[in-house]
Amino acid sequence: MLGLASIVVLASCASTNPPNKQMTETEMVIKAADAAGATTHAPLELREANRKLDLAKVAMTEKKYIRAERLADQARVDAELAHVKAESAIAQKSAADVKESIRVLQEEIRRITKPN
Amino acid sequence: MFTTKQTLFLALPLVVLLASCGGPPAPNAMLVDAKAKFATAESNPDVVRLAPVELKEAEESLVISNQLWEAREDNTKIEHHAYISLQKTAIAQETALRNKALKEMEQGEVDRQKVLLDVRRAEAERSERTANSALLEAQQERVAAVAAGQRAESSNAAAAAATAAAAAATQTATDATAKAAALASRVAELEARPTERGLVLTLGDVLFDTGKSTLRSGGTSSVYELATFLTEYPERKILIEGFTDNTGSVSMNQTLSTQRANAVKQLLESRGIASNRIRTIGFGVEHPVGDNSTANGRSQNRRVEIVISDENGVLKDRTN
Repeated sequence: MLGLASIVVLASCASTNPPNKQMTETEMVIKAADAAGATTHAPLELREANRKLDLAKVAMTEKKYIRAERLADQARVDAELAHVKAESAIAQKSAADVKESIRVLQEEIRRITKPN
Repeated sequence: MFTTKQTLFLALPLVVLLASCGGPPAPNAMLVDAKAKFATAESNPDVVRLAPVELKEAEESLVISNQLWEAREDNTKIEHHAYISLQKTAIAQETALRNKALKEMEQGEVDRQKVLLDVRRAEAERSERTANSALLEAQQERVAAVAAGQRAESSNAAAAAATAAAAAATQTATDATAKAAALASRVAELEARPTERGLVLTLGDVLFDTGKSTLRSGGTSSVYELATFLTEYPERKILIEGFTDNTGSVSMNQTLSTQRANAVKQLLESRGIASNRIRTIGFGVEHPVGDNSTANGRSQNRRVEIVISDENGVLKDRTN
């Protein structure tokens, strides 16, 4: 951890301001993912996003802004992945349902057109 | 991941020192993984086609990560961007799956509408078939009912005709019985006798004087009754046959028998009987019915026989 601290010090020249914007955006992305059904369809990715957001908040209170920004950015892509995974799962389920309903209808047609 | 990172962090100063001596930097496991995952995603046509923006973002992060690695920057920076690239690659792949599913949903919805139309069409056709067969059945039933009605009517008509025929037959029979009874009654009145030649009426010699062909007044009543009978039964014809005993010459008796038959004929004609219904013939001394050696026998032989035809006007001539 001594090595890490020296790296952070070296990297701190890139940004020294608190990443408030990134923190806010990540929180919104996580909420959107949750609303999209990520809790059900991508629980691992959503939990990872929340965990990193919490770590980012800790880093913010410690004024480790570089680390906070990095964690916030990672939490954001985790949440984005959770969001699209939820959307994908729902869309694939719907596509399968439509296919199944078509199959049932075609079965119905065969039944109707079958000569008695 | 963080455990790995922390391990790497501890080794980092050493790596940096070694790397600074020249040659390629030591491989970063996460960057290698990110490159491999990106290559896989990039080789998937669905991802290239359906998630180009996400794939581009994954590539941008990968390029930064690689630049940092080539610049021998610290692993935290390299791996941060490698991690972003990994997640962006995963997002690109999942986006491709989502968009593919959405397109399948759209197409599926279009297909479903078509199939729904097919279902309605099939149902309509089935309804039409059902209606048609019901109509056909109804028509067949109607035809059958009409045919049954016609059969009933014709059997009624046949029954009525049969009844009428039976009634007519009964009437005919009744009429025939009545006619036969009437005829029998009339024949009895004429004192005609049935023979194999039909009804034969014999006018005895008492009706004629000896050697004369003129009917006595007492004999005319029998002829008048015959005239009445012939008027009532206009289909009947008669044959008048004259006979004599053997007194006198044969030729004279022949002439006399013919004259007597004609006398009867003339009397009938005077009562309105058409001459074409009456035929006459004289047999003279032939066909005696009594013994000419006795007075009684000769009396029986002097006679006129009247043969009455059947109802068809057919007369049978004498065969013996």
